Amino acid sequence: MYSIFKRAVFFILLIGFWELLFRCGIWPEYVLPSPVSVYKTLIRGFQDQTFIIGIAISMKRIAIGYGISIVIGIFLGLLIGRVRVFEETLGSLISGLQTLPTICWLPLALLWFGLNDRAIIFLVIMGAVLSITVATDVGVKSVPPLYIRAAKTMGARGWKLYLEVIIPAALPHIITGMKQGWSFAWRSLMAGELLIVCLGLGHLMMIGRELNDMSQVIAVMIVIVIIGILVDRLFFVKMEKRIRERWGLVKG
Amino acid sequence: MSEGVGIENSIDLDQAKVDSELQPSHKADGVWPKLRIQHVSKSFQSKNGKVYVLEDINFEIQQGEFVCIVGPSGCGKTTLLNIVAGLEKADAGEVWANDYKINGAGTDRVVIFQEAALFPWLNVIKNVEFGLKLKGINGSKRRSTALEYLKMVHLTKFQNAHVHELSGGMKQRVAIARALAMNPEMLLMDEPFSALDAQTRWILHFELQNIWLKTKKTILFVTHNIREAVCLADRIIILSSSPGRIKKEFLVNLPRPRDDNDVNVAEYSTRIMKELKAEIDKVMKCEMDADSCVECDIKCTTEGVAKTDMGGGI
Ligand SMILES: Nc1ncnc2c1ncn2[C@@H]1O[C@H](COP(=O)(O)OP(=O)(O)OP(=O)(O)O)[C@@H](O)[C@H]1O
Ligand SMILES: [Mg+2]
Repeated sequence: MYSIFKRAVFFILLIGFWELLFRCGIWPEYVLPSPVSVYKTLIRGFQDQTFIIGIAISMKRIAIGYGISIVIGIFLGLLIGRVRVFEETLGSLISGLQTLPTICWLPLALLWFGLNDRAIIFLVIMGAVLSITVATDVGVKSVPPLYIRAAKTMGARGWKLYLEVIIPAALPHIITGMKQGWSFAWRSLMAGELLIVCLGLGHLMMIGRELNDMSQVIAVMIVIVIIGILVDRLFFVKMEKRIRERWGLVKG
Repeated sequence: MSEGVGIENSIDLDQAKVDSELQPSHKADGVWPKLRIQHVSKSFQSKNGKVYVLEDINFEIQQGEFVCIVGPSGCGKTTLLNIVAGLEKADAGEVWANDYKINGAGTDRVVIFQEAALFPWLNVIKNVEFGLKLKGINGSKRRSTALEYLKMVHLTKFQNAHVHELSGGMKQRVAIARALAMNPEMLLMDEPFSALDAQTRWILHFELQNIWLKTKKTILFVTHNIREAVCLADRIIILSSSPGRIKKEFLVNLPRPRDDNDVNVAEYSTRIMKELKAEIDKVMKCEMDADSCVECDIKCTTEGVAKTDMGGGI
């Protein structure tokens, strides 16, 4: 409770300081808007639905891209984690590619897909898939052999062994990879939307820039931060904690 | 007492006899032995060369028998059990269950491990249902079967609990229920109670005996505790170590359910220890100095109650 209070005071002071800076009039409004005008832009954005449409378009892209990267990431992670040949070949490629900043895929995405949705989704996939692959690989390797032996004596084999035992047992690692993957995906999405302008939150920021409407730029930034925090805190942190508790990895 | 129960029943394992018993017919009186282990050997490759873990193991288990394998730590008990379970391959020899040769894991031989190996992502009842689900048994039938076996281990109250909420003894009971629910022909148990405190173990010895009396499953039970073996088994097979060979067999004819602390059980374990002392001494002379710790282990067991471990030296 006390820490929430401290946080509230901090943000109020920050906004107060911002307002003060604005009142001093050192910078013109298109460089530094007032908190009040940012707030008004936010309200207006939600009232005339431009922000809602922007959020919906962005969320649709990330849902598709992130969904695909979960499927591909878990599949590749299982391959690398369980099959020696893939570990030695694909595994080294994946760890090499991890050093590549996602935005470096942009030229390739443009050549392959052009200036459109698919290029952005491709960027999202490239942002998330490697983290999920690596985490799944680690998770699969740390599945206690005892679980697999127990499952085998109860008749689990083939894909059922994977579905019923290996993936659930690796889930604490997989969810951590998904959490990291989400934050990479969210960043790649914004980068993609800023550079490949076709609707979405990134596009709304670019409109703000073109109209010299700094309050819109900052308002959209706030929306992006809030969505990021909501997904991370309300979903991933909770899921991670619950799973780790259930799996007996922390003392509940 | 113990006149009719005594060491007179112990079988000296003269290899020729074992061979002649095993070779001619697999099928005595038209009944297949539940389990037949023939000339099983196993070695592992380690940094310091080959380690011979099991050497020419031969024995049979009949339908409904409760057999304990006893041996010091590292003598290959788990390895032997894994071979029977089909989780590990023998270098040589064959294992037959009924009339077929074992080749890989099968649901007719379910293993209960030292740690319960319950799946933490499933709650208690779903853990018990796990094998049934793989067998393709439908939801309601599955649930009722699982409940029936949970009842047998007195845990119906905890059916919706998560695994991390259970104590060690409760986990092991769920593991027993999970194995029994599969209705396997044979239960393979690898020191399932060794991580538990004496009190819990005592209770579980009772429960296991009652379950066995009720279900008449064939049980192969591994332990390094002679008293536990005497408390549970019809027949005790003693393994020696490096390489693991069958040293001796003992029959136990005490009435059931037996109690760990029962005088007869205690006396019988002491007699087995004494009987084995000669063996121990023999091996000790080769392996270590004569004034070994096994000596005092045995003294303890003849006096004390809890300490019937075999030490490390057979
Ligand atoms: N996978 C393996 N690779 C190499 N050596 C092994 C392997 N598994 C077992 N061993 C060796 O085989 C021997 C027997 O092991 P095993 O686990 O069967 O013993 P155990 O009788 O069950 O002992 P304990 O009572 O301590 O459980 C040990 O010396 C062990 O080091
Ligand atoms: Mg063992």
